[in-house]
Amino acid sequence: MSQHQALNKLGRSGNPIIRSAAFQDKVSSSEEKMSLEGAVNKTSIMLFLTVMTATISWNFQGPLMSTISTIGALVGFISGIMTFGFYFFFVGWIVKPRPHNAPRTAPIYAIGMGFIIGIISQQAESFYPGIVIQAVSLTFFVATSLLLAYKTGIIKPTQNFMLMIFAATMGIFLTYIASLIFSLFTGNHFLVITGNGNMSILFSVVVVGIAALNLVLDFDIIEQSAEQGAPKYMEWFGAMALMATLIWLYIEILRLLMKLRSR
Amino acid sequence: MSYLTLFLGLIGILSAFLFFYLLKFKASSKQTNRGNRIRWNSYIPYKEVKPNKDKNKESKDTSFKDN
Repeated sequence: MSQHQALNKLGRSGNPIIRSAAFQDKVSSSEEKMSLEGAVNKTSIMLFLTVMTATISWNFQGPLMSTISTIGALVGFISGIMTFGFYFFFVGWIVKPRPHNAPRTAPIYAIGMGFIIGIISQQAESFYPGIVIQAVSLTFFVATSLLLAYKTGIIKPTQNFMLMIFAATMGIFLTYIASLIFSLFTGNHFLVITGNGNMSILFSVVVVGIAALNLVLDFDIIEQSAEQGAPKYMEWFGAMALMATLIWLYIEILRLLMKLRSR
Repeated sequence: MSYLTLFLGLIGILSAFLFFYLLKFKASSKQTNRGNRIRWNSYIPYKEVKPNKDKNKESKDTSFKDN
């Protein structure tokens, strides 16, 4: 018996269905392409990791946990840049987006951000009991409402919509950076960010609105990538984008509630 | 725990379940069949598929030569 015949006899299935080209194609395509179900599973995994590390940092407060949380936030931030890239006005892409990094960076991002969220939440809860449950609930309520509006076609993200949201997000980012630089020199943050006046609350409401509308863009990325048969790693990319926006939305809702409760 | 927190907690749990349930469904044709959609693949280079190592391995295995 020649080697080829032996391979045919022992190494391959005799089942005509499994041996058919159609089955082979189906298997390879399902292995390679993204699906909505896969993106949902990856989002669940990321949420689980974030909640786990947030619980650890919530329960074990101290200098060591503060250091771990700071490192976690930094690592999460670097993971985000390695995947989403870094764009700056008039300069363009400083770091280009690399979605194929997402399967490696997404779990690191979830773990890192979980540590810092745990510490922020614990501190907020110590000042205002019950605020974390309210913030988490409102985050999911807002996300679900927008998902429903997106899936039914009530909100239709277009090119202009994306540019508007992108510009607003960059504006908020620059305001935070300016406030940080201002605080380094004067020791005070912008009152519109940290205060509890009417303007400050209005600013927070606008930021929550922009963060929520960013979710629509994430839903569109996931939907379109799955539709076009994007590679499997796009499931992680979509999940990471969604988690990043959910985390941002949660922090902004928490800040808004804290401002309202401190009045 | 106040009634407001309890009420919001309940809404949160329901919303979280509904969120992950709805995420699995495809968007309506009203959303997908329109000309002014954002072309994400022009911003996110997800069509650049890196060569799959396992695929190369598989092709090496199948290129068995009969002597």
